[in-house]
This record gives sequence, structure tokens and C-alpha cells, in this order.
Amino acid sequence: MTRSRSSRSSSKRSASRLRPWLGWALKLALVGLVVLAGFAVYLDAQVQEKFSGRRWTIPAKVYARPLELFTGLKLTKDDFLTELDALGYRREGSASGPGSVSVAGNAVELYTRGFQFYEGAEPSQPVRVRFSGTYVAGLSKGDGSDLAVARLEPLLIGGLYPAHHEDRILIKLDQAPPYLLDTLVAVEDREFYHHHGVSPKSIARAFWINATAGQLRQGGSTLTQQLVKNFFLTNERSITRKATEAMMAVLLELHYDKPDILEAYLNEVFLGQDGQRAVHGFGLASQYFFSQPLSELKLHQVALLVGMVKGPTYYNPRRYPERALERRNLVLDVLVEQGVVSAEEAAQAKQKPLGVTKRGSLADSSFPGFLDLVKRQLRQDYRDEDLTEEGLRIFTSFDPILQLKSESALTETLKRLGGRKGIEDVEAAMVVSNPETGEIQALIGSRQPRFAGFNRALDAVRPIGSLIKPAVYLTALERPSQYTLTSWVADEPFSVKGQDGQVWKPQNYDRKAHGTIFLYQGLANSYNLSTAKLGLELGVPNVLKTVERLGVSQDWPAFPSMLLGAGSLSPMNVATMYQTLASGGFNTPLRGIRSVLTADGQPLKRYPFQVEQRFDPGAIYLVQNAMQRVMREGTGRSVYSQLPSNLTLAGKTGTSNDSRDSWFAGFSQDLLAVVWLGRDDNGKTPLTGATGALQVWTGFMRKADPLPLDMPVPNNVTLAWVDAANGQGSAAGCPNAVQMPYIRGSEPAPGPACGGDAPADSVMDWVRGWLN
Amino acid sequence: MNKLWLSVLAASVMLAGCATPQRGAIPVVDSGAPLSNEEPLAGNGAYRPTPRAATAPAQPRSVPQNDDSGVVVMVPPGASAAPIQSYPAGGSAPLSSAPITPGPVTSGPAPTPAPAYTTPSSAPSVPTGIPSGVHSGGGLAADEQLDGPVLALLTTAQQQQGGGDLNGASSSLERAQRIAPREPQVLYRLAEVRLAQGDAAQAEQLAQRGLTYANGRPALQASLWNLIAQARDRRGDAAGAGQAREKARVSL
Repeated sequence: MTRSRSSRSSSKRSASRLRPWLGWALKLALVGLVVLAGFAVYLDAQVQEKFSGRRWTIPAKVYARPLELFTGLKLTKDDFLTELDALGYRREGSASGPGSVSVAGNAVELYTRGFQFYEGAEPSQPVRVRFSGTYVAGLSKGDGSDLAVARLEPLLIGGLYPAHHEDRILIKLDQAPPYLLDTLVAVEDREFYHHHGVSPKSIARAFWINATAGQLRQGGSTLTQQLVKNFFLTNERSITRKATEAMMAVLLELHYDKPDILEAYLNEVFLGQDGQRAVHGFGLASQYFFSQPLSELKLHQVALLVGMVKGPTYYNPRRYPERALERRNLVLDVLVEQGVVSAEEAAQAKQKPLGVTKRGSLADSSFPGFLDLVKRQLRQDYRDEDLTEEGLRIFTSFDPILQLKSESALTETLKRLGGRKGIEDVEAAMVVSNPETGEIQALIGSRQPRFAGFNRALDAVRPIGSLIKPAVYLTALERPSQYTLTSWVADEPFSVKGQDGQVWKPQNYDRKAHGTIFLYQGLANSYNLSTAKLGLELGVPNVLKTVERLGVSQDWPAFPSMLLGAGSLSPMNVATMYQTLASGGFNTPLRGIRSVLTADGQPLKRYPFQVEQRFDPGAIYLVQNAMQRVMREGTGRSVYSQLPSNLTLAGKTGTSNDSRDSWFAGFSQDLLAVVWLGRDDNGKTPLTGATGALQVWTGFMRKADPLPLDMPVPNNVTLAWVDAANGQGSAAGCPNAVQMPYIRGSEPAPGPACGGDAPADSVMDWVRGWLN
Repeated sequence: MNKLWLSVLAASVMLAGCATPQRGAIPVVDSGAPLSNEEPLAGNGAYRPTPRAATAPAQPRSVPQNDDSGVVVMVPPGASAAPIQSYPAGGSAPLSSAPITPGPVTSGPAPTPAPAYTTPSSAPSVPTGIPSGVHSGGGLAADEQLDGPVLALLTTAQQQQGGGDLNGASSSLERAQRIAPREPQVLYRLAEVRLAQGDAAQAEQLAQRGLTYANGRPALQASLWNLIAQARDRRGDAAGAGQAREKARVSL
């Protein structure tokens, strides 16, 4: 066409002069065309390659444990509602659709969202939960029939991002809530369904405005062009880039249909910045700003998100709520003008507040300590690329409710201890696990738990002080022919010459000797003299072997000082050690991850429950008994000023030299917690194990309301009546008679019956513990 | 300028259009599947391949609601045809009568009153730990009863195991374990699945753990010892297996 026109014109005029010029022009045009065609082919290949392949790499998503609901579950209504709020459930008059909840007295009706778990899909269903006190008293379906068990969807607690991280939650077009597509088209590109990638009308307008303004300001881009810009091109603003963008937009429209392009747009668009993490796509934006899945968003929320497309930073609803509100209402006006919604609907939506959630409540990246643990466990099994690109779904045992309780216990205790000099330099770490399953449920790595940094729960390796002592006593009680809980031991000063020639002379904390005491009293009162004496009798290497069997491998030298906790461990190690004590002598590797699914919900890996019996349950039973006495009558007895006396607990305080480390490790039936307080520079603190860590522990247990410890009595253990004064065999009803557990055969011969007294008195004596 | 680019664009589009396959010829594969919460619903699971042949149908969860179903959770191999649920509690009461589930009942030296029961509300569903007779014909010993959630999950696990999904079964059993960590039947089933998975060492350990919670339940103890015997056989420890079988006999 070009050719014929130019040849005609040239023939009419002075052909001889113009012919060479025209020839050149023709050739140049041809060359240009070929070059351009080549460029177009190149662009086209680029468009298709990127668009038809995997469009995005998705960081792995980490989920908390799903809340299991069943009749008899220990759960308060308040905690339940906290969890529902974190999951973005809407309070409504009646639970009408997924993600809604209605509360009436003790009954909570909700419509769960459903989720794909490792062992199968949990359906989305209406569920009615009836609470009674601190328990779930009834669980039923929407139609009133009983429901055995139901799971909520798990809270998303973070992701594993690469250095420059874009994050998104991919959505399908049919997950878009009502109004989203119409609003997007109405606000960003009214011609979307009619143009072929570029809208000449918009371009002309933009060109005119830009020409008159002298600068490139006006967009006039179609949705397709915006997608191309974000997807393939840099942020540079130039005519060349604009043209490339237009070409690519046309190419994209040529190959893919409108819904495809729209879906890609919904997932690509940038909607906010969360620290290092770029929030892309409406799916993630919905979670990020409203803690809700996209499909549940209402008109006012849709209008806000679409309004933010124009300037996610400028219209950030958390930082600039007024701007964002104005923009949202403007969008609503546009919707009325375009006939998408009625004036009444828009007016109603305008009445609504912005509705964005507060940052840091239970939102993403709020639990750096636990996520750090998860990452470390994952890095043993996966390559970094797998974790940052494949969209894996990581299911963990993290319990956000327990985490919040441990955090507030820590904060409140530190505040309460605020009067003590030097408390402001004290750092903290805490590990909470389930003693039955070995699952980590909460973890604190810093006294400011929401700030990522040095994870003391895993990395602060500090002298454990008296936390070692149960290992000494366990070593003894494994030899029932030699030691029972009521064996006599001497709590007297002594000194030994170590292998290195140095004289070691242990001292009690109160600098006193306590004479001849029962074996268990040495542990209950954390006496150093009797414990060290006992440990030397047993042999330091044997005690260290016990520590090893409890689950902690260490290379401590077999010095006598190790018997009093000169060896260093991390809080996590201590938790492992006490886990074995709490679970009847069965060692369980502590786990934070339950399972991993691929991006499309296929089971990939499981981290199964594993146990190994390391100790005779009888010996463990006796040690637990002595550790209960720590709480009843020993160094941990202050717990019962805050906790009910019928709550049986076991634990041990630990204080390192000069109060540099304040430890407490202890457990109930269903909760194990280890607390460490100390300074990063290893300086002195104003705290002992009892005045510091134990206070945090107690505060946590008070909030967590655990089940009393109740280890079943092993077959080889018998309960015998003994005289509390002299340890001789006694009988029920005798004065001073108390019941003590013994490995069968090691108990004292029963004494003669005294008659008369009701055994109930003796039980009371037992509860009161021994006076010494 | 603008015009030039437009014409160039038009030409390139024409060329590109000829040079490339037509629309739809290249499938759009989106390997980064949606990660949103709502996506795993059965309703739009078209793009989700079924993980395994018989993974977790929704139906097992409804089983416990069916009073007449009489679900027998476990028939210990070799012991007898009688289901565990109907074993007698044994003559002597167990030393620890701790309820098996973390329900409101907590025993110990001083049992705490269970708050869940104090409400006057008519509870059609009885809290865990208390025999209700709902799931069985009645007349069973208290400690042989399984609660609704545990029973439901064991049933699910059994179906998964039956369909060859041992990992799924294992996972469901661990769910049950979290609800009732001290129920030896759960540990028994977990040990059984581990054995089927070829992990004889863990099977024995789990059974040993189960034994620590099976005081006063001789039939269950026998089953656990038999399972330990199988695990030892599997590891070539004939002598140990013999000892375990002897213990099983003594237990009964």
C-alpha cells in the first residue's frame, strides 16, 4: 500500500530527482519494518512465555494450628472470639455465610470457611458452639444435629520471603466478590471489554494533556496496559516504554481473552507495602487490610481496595485514613454514576468505616520467634528456592491464643518487676509446648516479642543452674535399691579436689547447711550441698549421661560444678529435657511443623509424632513427685499465691552464679513452659529463678488455665504410708503418716495400725506436705 | 511521533499475529495455585487433583452422630473378635482413674468440680470423659468409652488406612491424639499404622507409650503387647517377640 502510493506520486512529479531518494526511503522503511517485526516477534515471545508459564513465584505460607472444636474442649468464649476476630470473622445478626459469626449469650454461631488440610478437606459449614465456663459444652451443626469435631481454618502467621519479596495470595476470577470486577472496570478502564489492549480514545486524551502540560503525567492506560507495565516492564516513564507497553498490550489481548487478563490483573496489581514485603494482588490485600478472604468483601471494602490502585502508598488506609476514606467514597460515587450500584447502596456503604484491621494484632509477621524456628526446621529439608517460590503451605502447631498469653504474662511481669534496679536490661525467652505431643505452641525470643532479631529461645545458650537437679535425682531414683524419695542425705559443707587440682566447695543459696534431710527435700528446696553430694556419689558422668538421655546432647566436661548447672543450654534445649520428664520418660523431639502441602493442596511431607522410651516410668513418677513438692513446699511455692491449690504442677527453679540467669521450667498435664530471663551481656540481674522467671511462668499458667498434672501410677510404683518425721513405715490414720510413692520393693515395711483417725486427715496432711 | 508509533504498532501487530499461534493454542498453566483461604472448598476444587484414591471423604465425620452405627473402632488382631470398647474394666480399679480426654473432668487427689456440668442447660451432647451410652449399646465400662471426636477421627483414620492412605491415617490419628493424648486406643492405632508403614521401632515405642496409659485395661494391654510382639518379629527379634507374647497372655 505504501509502495503504490509513493510510486504514483513520484511518477507524476520530477521522477529523476526523487527516484533515488524514494528508493532509499523504501529500503529504509522495509528495514524498519523488518526490525520492528522482529521486535514484535520478540515481544510476543516474551508475552507468551511469561504469561503462559508460571506467572508468579509464591513464598511459602506458614499457618498456625487450626482450632479444633469438640464438646469438652477447654476453651473460653473470649479466647474463641479472639481467634475468630484474628481470622476476620464478621459479627452479624446470624451466621449467614462463610466467615460470619453471631454471638448470643453463651452460644456462638459461625459459618466456617473450610480448608484443605493434610489429611483431607474440612468443609465450610454452619457450626453452633455452646460454652459453659471454660469449656465447650456443646457442638452442633446448623440444623441442630450433633457434630463430633470441626476445625476452623488456620490463621496465616507468615511467609518465607526472598530478599526482594513480592507476596501474594493467588485467586481465581470466580473468587472475586460482587462488585469487584465492575468497580475495577468502572474506575480504571471503562472501555476494558471493548478495546483491544489500547484505548485510542484514552491515549489521545492522555497525549493531549501530556503535550500541554509538557510532562508525562496522565496515564490513560487500559487495565491491559497496566498489567503489562507491572508484569513485563520497569517503572521508567518514557515514550519508548509506553510504546512497548502498548504493543505488548495488544499482543496480550491477541492471545488471551478478557477474563484471563482480568484475573492476572487482580493477582498482579500492587496494593501496599508491609515492611520489606510488597503486597500484590487483591487476594493478599484483602487479608492484609481486612484479615478476610477476598470473596467475603463487601461493597465498601471493594471500593477502598479499587480506589487504592491509583496510589497504594498515598491512599494507605492505615496511614492516611482520611484520604483513603475520601477516595473510597469517590469510587462509590463513580459506581452510582456508572450504574453499577444504586444511590442507596452507595449511601449505605459510605456510612461504613474503613474497616481495616490494626497491624500487629494477630496479623502476618507478628511472631518472628516462632517463624524463625519454623524456618530453621524447614531449611533442613528444603532448598531456599523451594521455600520462597513454590507456594508451599506449612502447617504448624503454633497456638496464637497461648502465644498472646505468654507475651502478656512476660510484659506484665516485667512491668511489675520494674522497680528493681537493672530490670530494664533484662532480656527474655520462653518456650511453650505440649508435653504429650512434643509440639511447640508458643515461643518468645525477646522481651519485645514482635521484633525480629536475636532469638534467645533458640540461641541464648546459658548456664542452667539448678534446672540440672532433676537429672541428678532421676539418676539416683533409677537405683531404687539405693535411693528412694525418703532416703536420708546429708546437707553439709564439704569440698572436693577436681581433676584440674582446684578445690570445689559448693554452698547453699542461703549459705546454711540443713543437716540430714530426705532426698526429695534436696530437690524441693534446691539445696546445693546435698545435691552435689548425691551427684558425686552417683558419679558426674552418670548424671551427664542422664542429661543426654533426657534429650540434650552436650559436651560438658565431667566437673563437679556441672552437678549444680554450670553447663549451658538454650531454653529450647531445656524444654526438650523437661519434655522427657513431663511425658513419663518418653523423649519426643520438639516439633513446630506438622505437615507441608504443595501450592495446590497435595500432601508433601509430614513431621510425625515420634517417641522413644528413655527412662523407667516409675523413676520418672518419683522425680515428678519431688518436682511437685518444689511447687508445694519448695522454691516454687509462690505459684500457689496466684494459682488454685488443687492445680498440681511440677517444676524447677534455676539461678546461675550471681543471678546472671533466672530460669524456670515446669509443666502441668497439658502445658510445659520454660522461661529464661537474663542480660545479653551476661551481667548480673536483680532476679533469681523464683523472683524472675517463675513469676512469668506463673502469670502464663494463670492465663492459660492448664489441667492439673496427673501422671498415671506406673505398675512398678506403690504408695506407702510413712512417718513424716522419720521416714519409717507407718499406716493410714497414724499421726504424721503421709503417703509416698516408692518403686515396688523399696518401700519401708508398713508400721502397725494406729486406728481411730479417719484417713481423710492423713490425706490432708499429704496435701499440706511435710513440715520440716 | 504518536502517529508514527501507532502505524509501526499496527504493522507489528499484523506481523506478530501471523507469526504466532492463534489465541487459545497455548494453554495458560498457572502452577502457582491460589493460596487463599476460601479456595480449598469442595465447590471450586476443579483444579485440585484428588490427592489420593480414598482420602478423607466428608462422611466419616457424620458417623458418630448415627446412634445405630455401632462403630467398632478397633479389633485387635489375634486377641478376639470382640471390640475393645466392650472389654471389661478389670477387677481392680486402675490406680489412676484419669479420664482419657482433656475434658472437664480431672481426677487427682482432689478432683476439681467440672464446670461444664453445672449449667442447667439440657445438654444433648454429653461432655467428654463421661460415658453417655450414645455411641454404644450401654453397659460398657467408663474407661472403654470413646468420645465423639476421638471416635470420629479413629473412624476417619480407619477409612484412610483401608484406602491405602497411611500418611493420612497417621495424620488423623495424631489429630485424635491431640484431643485425647492419654487414650491408649489412639496410641494403639497409631502404632498399628506405623507398623503398616514399616516403622517397627516406632510401632513398638508407641505401643509402649500406650501401655503406660492402659492400667486396669487388661485386654487392651494384651493387644498392645501383641502388637509389640509383631513389631519385634518384624525386626527379627524372635526372643523379644516371645517375651511380649508372654506378657500379652499374662495381661489377659
